[in-house]
Amino acid sequence: MENAIPTPAQPAEYCAACATQVLNDDAFCTNCGYPLKGTEKDQRYFIAERSNAMIDMSEYNNKIRKAGNSLYYLSGVFVLIALISFFKNQDDPGVLGIVVPLVILAALFLVLGSYSRKKPLACLVSGLCLYIIVQVLLAVSNPINMASGIIWKIAIIVYMINGIRSAVELEKLKKEHNIG
Amino acid sequence: MITDNADIAEKKPCDQCGSLIALNTRFCNSCGTRQRDSVEAIVENKWLRIKQSGLFYAITIVLCASCNFIDAFQTLGWLLFFVVALAIISVSFFAFNWAENKRLLQWGDFSFQKLCAYCALAVAGSVFVHYSVGWLNVTMYSRQQENWTFLKGNIIGECLLVFFTAVTPALFEELGFRGYLLQNLLKVADVPQALFITSFLFAIIHMSFVSLFWLIPFALLLGAVRIKEGTLWYGVFMHFCFNFTACMFMLSGL
Repeated sequence: MENAIPTPAQPAEYCAACATQVLNDDAFCTNCGYPLKGTEKDQRYFIAERSNAMIDMSEYNNKIRKAGNSLYYLSGVFVLIALISFFKNQDDPGVLGIVVPLVILAALFLVLGSYSRKKPLACLVSGLCLYIIVQVLLAVSNPINMASGIIWKIAIIVYMINGIRSAVELEKLKKEHNIG
Repeated sequence: MITDNADIAEKKPCDQCGSLIALNTRFCNSCGTRQRDSVEAIVENKWLRIKQSGLFYAITIVLCASCNFIDAFQTLGWLLFFVVALAIISVSFFAFNWAENKRLLQWGDFSFQKLCAYCALAVAGSVFVHYSVGWLNVTMYSRQQENWTFLKGNIIGECLLVFFTAVTPALFEELGFRGYLLQNLLKVADVPQALFITSFLFAIIHMSFVSLFWLIPFALLLGAVRIKEGTLWYGVFMHFCFNFTACMFMLSGL
């Protein structure tokens, strides 16, 4: 019976692409798919593809970071508006009705921003939708609001959409190449 | 023998060439093909799905915002229009992905005890929310119901109120959010992220920032039940119980 237990082959070398231990009789690395027994051309092509993927990934990470930063920026803006409206309407008894929602908004954007590195898709989608709802509410209460700072608004939305797109692509690349 | 079985159990055939490889292997060691995770969905275009979900959500935002905040629409006729419009949106998006969504409408392992337990949980949650909101003295609680107080006073109006605040939201919000949106996002993101996104979007569509503190947990609960049970119906009944309790509090003036 003991003969039936296969003895593991001795680890012979490390994969040239991802430095995982590979076995002597593996034709491909089991961690990254590197053609261990392939021709030199195959191996070079693989390495080039993999480093291309890494470059793309760092670009996507960069876009995600920018989108996350715009969430922080929004948080700051809402804190600022909350402070201004608090000091402007200090004597008004209904001031908390304005300030509390603003503070909640700022806190939401802050939380979403701080988790946007870990869970980019969830945070960026949520942040974008929250931002759009706020803008729709502002526009409904007074249509002129829509036009004020329109360039900033578009910039923020573009950053966020790019971030969401990058998060999707990043996941795909990570899975395909088993990096990170 | 045991070792043998364990050894076989830890191996699987390669997706491409069929040679036996270890279960957790990412790439086949004989042909180099990447192995799919067991849970990994074969999705060609995730970005398209996100855009589709975005369209659904954008339409819902516009309808909800106009229904809640534009004074001209605060009449029974317009409310009826918005309820019907939201219902049509939910149903049509749900039906658009009918092939993958239809199993959500099945109620395979119906369990009366489970249903009662979930509904009791929802009622308890609603009572808790009612009193905690009263304690917070937040006037923004359920803007929708405040807007609809003109239905109070006669029996037909009260029936309409129950219909508009308990029956239709339970059915069509579940269909739209836990049905269409969650199912669509599960193809794009992992389970926790999809659950979080759906719950967050569901909570902020109510457009009352103070009630987020109970809407997000409630939506997470509904989403978790939907994923665990694989059917929409427990969620529909929970949602109905929650809203119905809130509605009764309002009608009785407690």
